[in-house]
Amino acid sequence: MNFINKNKSKLRLSIFAFAIILFSNCENGETQTVTTKSELVWADEFETDGAPDSNKWTFDIGDGTAQGIPGWGNNELQYYSDRPENIVVKNGMLHITANRETFMGSNYTSAKILTKGLYGTKYGRFEARIKLPWGKGLWPAFWMLGDDSNGTVTWPNIGEIDIMEYRGQQPTITHGSVHGPGYSGATPITKSYELTNDRFDTDFHIFGIEWGENYINYYVDDVLYNQITPADLPEGANWVFNSNQFYIILNMAVGGNFLENPGSNTVFPQTMIVDYVRVYK
Amino acid sequence: MKTKKYIYTKITFFLGLILLTASSCDREISDEAVLATFSSTADVFIDSPVGLGSNFYFPYGGSKPTAWSVDEKEAYEGTASMRFDVPNGDDPNGNFAGAIFRIDGAGRDLSNYDALTFWVKASQGVTIGEFGFGEDFLENKYVATIQNTSVGTSWQKVIIPIPDASRLTQERGLFRYSAGTQGTNGSGYTFWVDELKFEKLGTIAQPRPQIIDGTEKSEQTFIGGVITLDGLNQIFNLGDGTEQKVTVAPNYFNFTSSSPSVATVDEKGKITVTGAGTTDITAQLNGLDAQGKYTLESLGDFTPAPTPTQNAANVISVFSDAYTNIAVDHYNGYWGGSTTQGQNDININGNEIINYKALNYVGVEFHINVPTVNASSMTNFHIDIQVQEDIGPGDFIRIGLQDIGADDTFGGGDDSNGSISIGGSNLTKGSWVSFDFKLSDFNGLANKANLGQIVLVTDATIQDVLVDNMYFYEIPTAPSVAAPTPTLPASDVISIFSDAYTNVAGTNLNPGWGQATVVTQETIAGNNTLKYTGLNYQGIEIGSAQDVTGMTHLHIDYFTTNSTSLNAFLISTGPVEKAKALAVPTNSGWVSLEIPLADFSPVNLADIIQMKFDGNGTIFLDNIYFHK
Repeated sequence: MNFINKNKSKLRLSIFAFAIILFSNCENGETQTVTTKSELVWADEFETDGAPDSNKWTFDIGDGTAQGIPGWGNNELQYYSDRPENIVVKNGMLHITANRETFMGSNYTSAKILTKGLYGTKYGRFEARIKLPWGKGLWPAFWMLGDDSNGTVTWPNIGEIDIMEYRGQQPTITHGSVHGPGYSGATPITKSYELTNDRFDTDFHIFGIEWGENYINYYVDDVLYNQITPADLPEGANWVFNSNQFYIILNMAVGGNFLENPGSNTVFPQTMIVDYVRVYK
Repeated sequence: MKTKKYIYTKITFFLGLILLTASSCDREISDEAVLATFSSTADVFIDSPVGLGSNFYFPYGGSKPTAWSVDEKEAYEGTASMRFDVPNGDDPNGNFAGAIFRIDGAGRDLSNYDALTFWVKASQGVTIGEFGFGEDFLENKYVATIQNTSVGTSWQKVIIPIPDASRLTQERGLFRYSAGTQGTNGSGYTFWVDELKFEKLGTIAQPRPQIIDGTEKSEQTFIGGVITLDGLNQIFNLGDGTEQKVTVAPNYFNFTSSSPSVATVDEKGKITVTGAGTTDITAQLNGLDAQGKYTLESLGDFTPAPTPTQNAANVISVFSDAYTNIAVDHYNGYWGGSTTQGQNDININGNEIINYKALNYVGVEFHINVPTVNASSMTNFHIDIQVQEDIGPGDFIRIGLQDIGADDTFGGGDDSNGSISIGGSNLTKGSWVSFDFKLSDFNGLANKANLGQIVLVTDATIQDVLVDNMYFYEIPTAPSVAAPTPTLPASDVISIFSDAYTNVAGTNLNPGWGQATVVTQETIAGNNTLKYTGLNYQGIEIGSAQDVTGMTHLHIDYFTTNSTSLNAFLISTGPVEKAKALAVPTNSGWVSLEIPLADFSPVNLADIIQMKFDGNGTIFLDNIYFHK
């Protein structure tokens, strides 16, 4: 295992908290082998202040109208921009910030970056260390889409792997899913993971998958909480994760089909802070 | 268990180990866990009260003291729960249920927990007013309360976040509640509470403290002003995403005044104004800046309104620190169309005053939830007004009185009202002006037995006023107390009429000078008093000519409520006489007057033979003497 930051933070904890961790491991019954791939092949550690590294990331801009999917296909409310008030690297972290503001006809702004056209791969271990926002209507995600062969293959046939999706109104729960033909939109193959005595918006947590032929393993921190295989698909559905290359996406949506829209007491701005994104073989 | 306990207390890491165990599986060990200093026991009620001692239940005044019991037929877990029987709203033994649970003994160290939690259900769907902790009926330093919890008929968990657990190192007030029938039309109900305990949930986050409910507020006041900050809350985000507001006692906050020379703030959030200028009051809770700011502009020294002098026995006071005030509904009804802000919210050195701002009209009301005023025996209305802005000649303040009639309710054909307008020329910017109006001058006010409103109308011609000492009073036609008893030694006095001295012998108090005045002597509070009824003029023939050249003053005590003219004369042989005008009427009781004898020149002070009064009205006189 290669939980460098995790181990560092453990050292800062009191013996009391250490005892709790031991205990909660004990509660899970058995020691898990969470990850097996450890050769680092791609990473962004977000060490250079300013805009995200243009050699690694590209932006989606707008409200989806220009892409032909207003509301990004989910009735989302935000306008994605590349302004520093929506996305910036500082203090060794990527900050994606959702603001409540009128901008380009939308009532919220946020940001979305992708490695599309810059980096993609098949199989591997993909993980990010993230501190999430909170509040009703915030929908941050760390996810991947399959290559569309210059637009000749369309979603959901290209495949989608959601490593982390989160509803701001459920600050203890993360969701890991795959979408493909016959299991997309509101009916993905999915599982939720709930923290015990902790939440995702108060400190950093590691969200990852290990993806190989005919399996995707989902983990949070040091807990492997799900494995998805072709056997989990609906009768007759195609496993689209053995052939295509996938690129990485980080974004924070506001409102939309996946969750409720923000309320008047949802606190803005809200920031998703990413310490790193790493890919191992 | 006991043995285990004493062994463990000697182990350094005992606390952590025990908490670990407690949060996992075995409740009973934590029940027994007592540290050498203050107990960190989590449980308050499981199947019975835990570690509270014998005398721990303290009901609120006015609540039904028997509302709480242990119910062995209902439990969320285990064998029993706490049962609260909220009485009907008309229960003579208390019309709500409410109490604190205070440890009968040393407090607990709760600094490692982040919430008080329990399970609750009710006999019907209800909203329960308050659940909390930290109230001990001693200093009540660390009260934290959640308001208006919706409780259904199946068990649900309630979480009360602790605003700053590091403060709770020896807390005795472990639980408090208050439940009424406002939402059930007065019908009583029952609710049950079980598994009441402190927990370290780890899922309570995003604390957002507030003062003044997170708003920014600006007010003007004066040196000596005292303002208590309110709207002290902290909002948390619970593990299920619920936004939970907690009402927080001021002691959790650290308050700051940006200009301590203008005002200081104590740990109770009480602001004391000490100088002129402007200051911002802000606060922190556990290192977090509280949302909200109070900006205070001190206008410097404050001159209070003149202290009322009416005898309290003759007063019905609506707003005055000099008297006991009647209960009022409010000093500002915030009526529709009214822009007026402010009520009895300024306190200067213990003197409450009202500051109406943006005044167009405002009503002081005392008829909604409190009795009306029966001013049948009252004759006058008093109000002190200080305008805080420039006054134009067309500006005015109209004072209205509203009587709602014998049916004691608006309408019904027996309402009446009257008003008196004060013109701008009778008001002074920055100075108190006292007004005394006869109730009979409020034209249209047919009755005064059911007064319910005092209304101030300016139509925004005057918008910023201070008001004090609104009261009704009776001017009695006769004094109720004796004139002040003289204290000068008899050797310094030549007395004409006084119980305190030997009067000049042979004096005729009612010589026949053709006057219409009726002269009598009345005993008032045991003191013989001279009374002139229907005065036109009236003489006194002194029993022998008096040489008062060794004296300096003539002393007279007099009382009249209806005279508009009154003169006192000394007369010497000739006759040579000289009048001295006396101020009338004497609305505030007896007036003791010292008249320098030189004022009576050219009367021959070596040969005073008579005195005389002229004028009108009914006059009471006492203690007429010369002295040095």
